[in-house]
Order: sequence, then structure tokens, then C-alpha cells
Amino acid sequence: MATLLDQTETAPETIAKGEPIVTVRGLSKIYKDFWGRAKARAVDNVDFEVRRGEVFGLLGPNGSGKSTTVKMLLGLLYPTKGHIEVFGHSPRHVATKAMIGYLPEESYLYRFLDSHETLDFFGNLFDIPPQERARRNEQLLEMVGLNQVRTRVVGEFSKGMQRRIGLAQALINDPDLVILDEPTAGLDPIGCREVKDLILALARRGKTVILSSHLLSDVEDVCDRVVIYYGGRIQAMGTLQELLSKPDAVRITTPPLPRETMDKVLRIIRDDVANAKIEIDNPTQNLESYFLDVVRKAKENLAETSGATSGSRVAAYLRGDAETAATPDRILDRLTVAAPAAPAPATAPAPAEKIDQAKLQSLAQTVPSAPTPTPKPETAATPPADLSKANAKLSSLLGQDPKP
Amino acid sequence: MAALLLVSVGGLPLLLKDDGTAKGLAQILLTYTLSSITALLAFFTLWLACGTLAKDVEECQMQMIVVKPIYRWQVWIGKWVGIIGLNAGLLALSGLAVYAGLMWRAHRLPPAQQQILRSEVLVARASARPPVKDLQPEIDRAVRSRIGGVRATLTPDEKMAMAKQVVSAVIATNEEVAPGNAREWKIDMSHASAAARNAPMQLRVKFHTSGLNEETTYDTLWLIGPQESQRSQLVQQSLPAESFQEFDIPPGQVSDDGTLTIGFLNRNELPLLFPLDEGVEVLYRENTFGINFCRGLAIILCWLGFLAAIGLATASFLSFPVAAFASLGILAMAAFGGTLKSVVENGTVASWDAGASSFGHSVLDFAMVPMFKGALEVINLVTTFSPVDYLSSGRSITWQDLGLAVAQIIFLLGGIFACFGIIFFSRRELATVQGQS
Repeated sequence: MATLLDQTETAPETIAKGEPIVTVRGLSKIYKDFWGRAKARAVDNVDFEVRRGEVFGLLGPNGSGKSTTVKMLLGLLYPTKGHIEVFGHSPRHVATKAMIGYLPEESYLYRFLDSHETLDFFGNLFDIPPQERARRNEQLLEMVGLNQVRTRVVGEFSKGMQRRIGLAQALINDPDLVILDEPTAGLDPIGCREVKDLILALARRGKTVILSSHLLSDVEDVCDRVVIYYGGRIQAMGTLQELLSKPDAVRITTPPLPRETMDKVLRIIRDDVANAKIEIDNPTQNLESYFLDVVRKAKENLAETSGATSGSRVAAYLRGDAETAATPDRILDRLTVAAPAAPAPATAPAPAEKIDQAKLQSLAQTVPSAPTPTPKPETAATPPADLSKANAKLSSLLGQDPKP
Repeated sequence: MAALLLVSVGGLPLLLKDDGTAKGLAQILLTYTLSSITALLAFFTLWLACGTLAKDVEECQMQMIVVKPIYRWQVWIGKWVGIIGLNAGLLALSGLAVYAGLMWRAHRLPPAQQQILRSEVLVARASARPPVKDLQPEIDRAVRSRIGGVRATLTPDEKMAMAKQVVSAVIATNEEVAPGNAREWKIDMSHASAAARNAPMQLRVKFHTSGLNEETTYDTLWLIGPQESQRSQLVQQSLPAESFQEFDIPPGQVSDDGTLTIGFLNRNELPLLFPLDEGVEVLYRENTFGINFCRGLAIILCWLGFLAAIGLATASFLSFPVAAFASLGILAMAAFGGTLKSVVENGTVASWDAGASSFGHSVLDFAMVPMFKGALEVINLVTTFSPVDYLSSGRSITWQDLGLAVAQIIFLLGGIFACFGIIFFSRRELATVQGQS
């Protein structure tokens, strides 16, 4: 019986690890009206590459051009200008699509098919033999937790369940390239974690994942490299390490230190660095703040966007007299707040506080009794148990022994 | 849809009362039910064809399909095959119900009418007509002699009008049987089987007169069979004008060389005009009604296939409501085939100018007349088949007819629409609409 892995191995393309899977050069997309007049420039001169085995994130606020880029990668939209290659072919090359799995941002499934019929239908489009299709269906339904509701039609599913069956159909062909558009939208926290584990497991198997999201935590948890879109342009691109680190400063993170040790360290540092340049703070720089900063700069440069914009203020007739300063909960909502004149958002990184000698003394005294800071989990530091669980699940799906 | 079909095949025959004759029964059960089934399925097909593609695009399910390793033409053809399959099932069930209903109602008729039914309706009868005489040389001569002398004094429009009158006069001369005169037609029956030649046949005739009373009947005397033979027989019939009439002719009148001679004597005071193309026709048994009925349904299925191609072609680049209206517009144009024909014949879209006794001219003629001519050609390719009329009159729908219908309606016309549809669909950006699901 053929396995998912067999199919991968017999795929027409043999691509060495690290070789570009997706190449985008000078990509632009202008939406036009009926008369051919430009309505919106959704993507503007974008370049990037996605390499084999990477988890590549497309970040950006609504309407920044992420989904348009994804749809051009899939051949659902055609570039106005520029060049795209997926596995060395045009996105419209039909045979190449056998190596791609796609989860769109909404459930675009047939409402009157049940879960099993849905997977069977999509499996059939990949020409998977019936027995193998049935086996994969069982395993995928088990994986996404829908085996108990397999006879319910998809139209009756909650949004989260629809995302799950959508994810399952995206994996029915064991794709080499998985394109996920907002994969965790509508999922409960456990489902989100499972999806992230799945992405990491796919990456470990050499699969390439393109993740489009405006949920920063999703991207931060799983992506190797990201591009940040605003107004159809790439505002920043690189690995998370590259984007988030500050090269002109050094941070030493340690467990809580005794006062004497702190004094010794500071004395040594003061031998080389002026006291005024020494800062002591908690590590607050993260992707979220960086992202906000990138978009704020883009807005300061008057970059145009074809997507939705919103103000920080609720409409007057809804505000009444009780309005207080807007403190939006969602990060991306804040991106559209007029930034320059306003004070820094509440969650933006606070300016590093310069600590004088007295404060240092005080801090040193309080360190031993301070609660142990929780180090920010990095991708590489994901608890092994989580990954092994995801790997075991995926290996089960593939009928393979888990890789050590 | 199923309920409407049920009403058509079950309820309609019960609501409509026949006149107790075999012809009346056939009229009601075949013409009304098959026509209503065809109309319902046609509407259903157009709606379904437009909806299945346009809705899939609008609700974004199509995005999930075309990112899989299948060509878009496969998606398009798959939709078409699915619609045809559904239609074939519905048409087969409906046809079976009509057939069963017809047999049940026929069983309740008086024995004499049952006999007529089985010989004239529940049968597949082939047709033989006298050869059509080539009138062109005669027309040319007449036109030259009538217009030649006054050519210089006539305007082009006057020449055209006079030419038309001359053509009509020549045709009428060849159709006319003057009072007291006789006419003989020789019909080649060599392609009929020996059994068919020796079985009872029907003569189907139609003639025009200048009489104004539609209820008047005319005394007609027919001599069937070789004139020199003792076998020939006289048949006298009193028939009305302006409509098709059938009567039996005795068996065994076909001569050894396969020719059936039909003589006619006009014993009326008015001339009778037998149209050249449909004035005289011999009908003879060729096959069973069941096979004929299936072939008739198959031609209806060809029409539905063509409609499915129209619906899918419009939905390939239009949204659902627009595609539906565009498809209905195409059907409406087919319904106005008579108008198109008159425009093509008159050579103008302008109306009749009573003062000048001719048609006017329009600046649109340059584009409209050729366009109408093309549209008429297309419409004729479809409407040249009349399975319902053929079945209700017991006429044979041959395998050749069915093959021609498949070739003209499905492969030629359906293929043209399919090519346009597939090209548009293959080039279309499918993610420009937002999902509505």
C-alpha cells in the first residue's frame, strides 16, 4: 500500500534542502474596475524567496496584501507585474499543484457534504487510490478531532470545526508546500496549539510552510522567517532573530543574582562603558512591539494601503459622553491609530529606564526576593514533549515510525 | 423541480380532457406533457448551469477546486456532464411516466380508435415525398421576360419587389391544380422495406385555396397506384384546406420499381395549391413507437445539453444573476426566430413603407442583417428537430436524425459555447470576489 511518504518520494520534483521552493520577484498586483481603471494597488513590487523546510510568515494588517500574495502564489489571481515560481514552475502549472496544500482564510467547503465526504472529494481530486484515500481520511479526521462528527454536514459545523476540516483537506495529499491563511482563526487555544505543533512537525519533515496571519503569536511561535507587509509593500523581512535583536547593545539575561555578584558585574562593566550608557531593564522587546514599530514608521512615511483603515475613536453617536482614551485590545487595531502625535501605545515597549546608583542599589537589594522571570520561549526552546507529541501524531498519520 | 415534473406527467393529463379520438389523446398526452417537461427541464438546466458554476465562484468553493491538480477545462466539462446526467435521469423517469400514462389511456379508448392510435400515433412512420422540381431556370426566364423590358425605368427597390412577385407567381403555378385539372406525383419508395410497401400507408396532404371559409371542405379524388395497372384504386376524401390531413391508402400499390404513383383530380370550382415542400407526403411504418419515443427523448436531451453549455458559458465570466439573464436573453432571441427570418428575407431591419410600397432602409442594416442571418442559421440548426411534433404525429425519428442532432446541437453549437466558456473560465481570476459562505 502506498503511503504519503511514497507519494512525496515519487513527486516529479527533487529539490535539495534549502533550495528555493517559492521565488517572487518584483511582484505587483493592481485591482482594476470594469473599465480597466486602477482601483487599488494591493501588492507593490514585492520580492522574497521561500526555501525548502522553512516556515515562512506573511505578516500584516488587514488589506496589506498578504492574501493577495498567497492567491497569486496559488494561481487564483494573476500578477499585474512581476514573476512567481513555485517549484520552478508558474503557479498555474497544474502538475505542480499536486505538491501544494492550501487552507484559505474562510471555510470554502461544500456545505452539504459531511466531513468524510469532503475529504474523499478532495482526495479524489488528487487521484489518490480509494483504499489509501479511506485510510488518510480516517487518520486526518482523528487528527483534527472530527471523527465523532463525521456524518454531520460541514454546513452545520462551528467556525472552529470548519477550520479543522479545512486543515485536514489541505493535508490530504501530504503536500511538500503547505500554504495556510489564518490557520488558527476561530480555533480554541488547544486547537491553536495543535495547529502550531503540526506546522512544526511538518517543517521537521522537510515540508515548506507559508503562514499568512495577523496573529503575531502564531507567527512568532512557528516561523523561521517573516515578511511584514503594509500598504502592499514589504516593510521588513528576515529571521525573527534578525528582526528582533538590537545589534548596538548587548543584553545579558541571567537568573536572579545576589547583590554582591551584581556589584561585581557592574564594576567590571563600568571599566569599559560609561555609567550613563548602562541600562538595566527586563527584556520587553518582542515581535509585537517590533511589528507595531514597523507599521508606525510606514504610516509616518505616508505609505498608502488599499486595505481597511479605522480610527481609534468609536463613532460619536455610540460614544456618548463617557469616552475615555482609546485602548484597543487587539494589536492590529492599534496599528491604524494615528501614531505620531499620540502617546506611545500602552503595550509598546517602555523606554528603558536609566537607573541611577541609588535605584541600582535598591534593585540589587530586591532581586533575591523578586519572582523568577519567565524566559520568553523561543522556537528552538519549545518543550520537547510538545514536539514529540505532534511528531507522533503526524507519524501516525503517515504510517511511519516517529523520527528520533 | 421534481414536484413540477410530477404535476406535468401525472396531473396535466388528468386535468386536460381529450376528445375521445386517438389524435386527441396523442395531442394531450404527448404534446402537452412532453412540451411541459421540456420547458421545465430547460429552465431547470439553465438555472442549474448558471448557478453551479457562478455560485461556486462567488462562494469561493471554486478556489478550493482549482488549486488541486486538475485543469479548469476538466472542471467545466465535469459540471456539464453532471448536469446532463441529472437531466438524463429526470427525463428518463418523466418519459417513462408519460409512456405508461399513454398506454393506460389508450387502453380505455374504443377499439376502433385504438386501431387508429396504433396505426397513426403509436408507431414510427417514415416519410416519402415527391422530388422537388428545380424551379430556378423557370424563375430566371420569367424574371428576364417580365423585368427586362422595363429595367431602365425601375428603381432597385422596384426591381426587387417585382422579382419577388415573379418568383411567387412561378411557384404558385407549379403548386396549382386548376378546377377540372389533374396532377400526378411519383414518389420513390425504393428505400422502404418490402413489408412496409405492402402494409397500409397514409397519405398526408395539405393545400391552400382562395376560399375564405375555414370550415369549407373540398371534394378530392385520388388515384393511388400505377395508372395503367388494374391495381390502382380510387380514394375519395372531403378535406378542409390550410391544414395537414391524413387518410389511408390501400396496401400493395407500389410498383415493382419502387415507385408509388398518386394522381389527383380537382373537382372543385376553386384552384387548389399543394405546397411544393409539404403538399403531398406518404407515411409508412418503419419502426416501433417505443424506440421512436426513446430517440425523441434523446433529441430533447441534446437540447438540454446545449442549454447547459449556454448556461455554463455565460457563468464562466458573469455573476449568477447576470449569467441567468444573459442565457434567457439568448433563448428569447431564439423565440423571435420569425422576426429574424423576416429581417433576413427583407434585407433590412426597417419597416414596410406603405407610401413607397417597399421596405425602408436603416443605417443598422450593414451590421444587423448579417448578424441576424448568422443567428438564424444557428437557431435553425437547433429548431430543425421537432421530436414532440414527430412523436405526436407518429412520424419516425431515425437514427440519422438523432445522429444529426447530436452532431449539430451538442458537438457544433454546444462545442462553440463550450470553447468560449472554457477559454473565459481558464483565463478568469477566481479570487477577485469575497466569499459569501
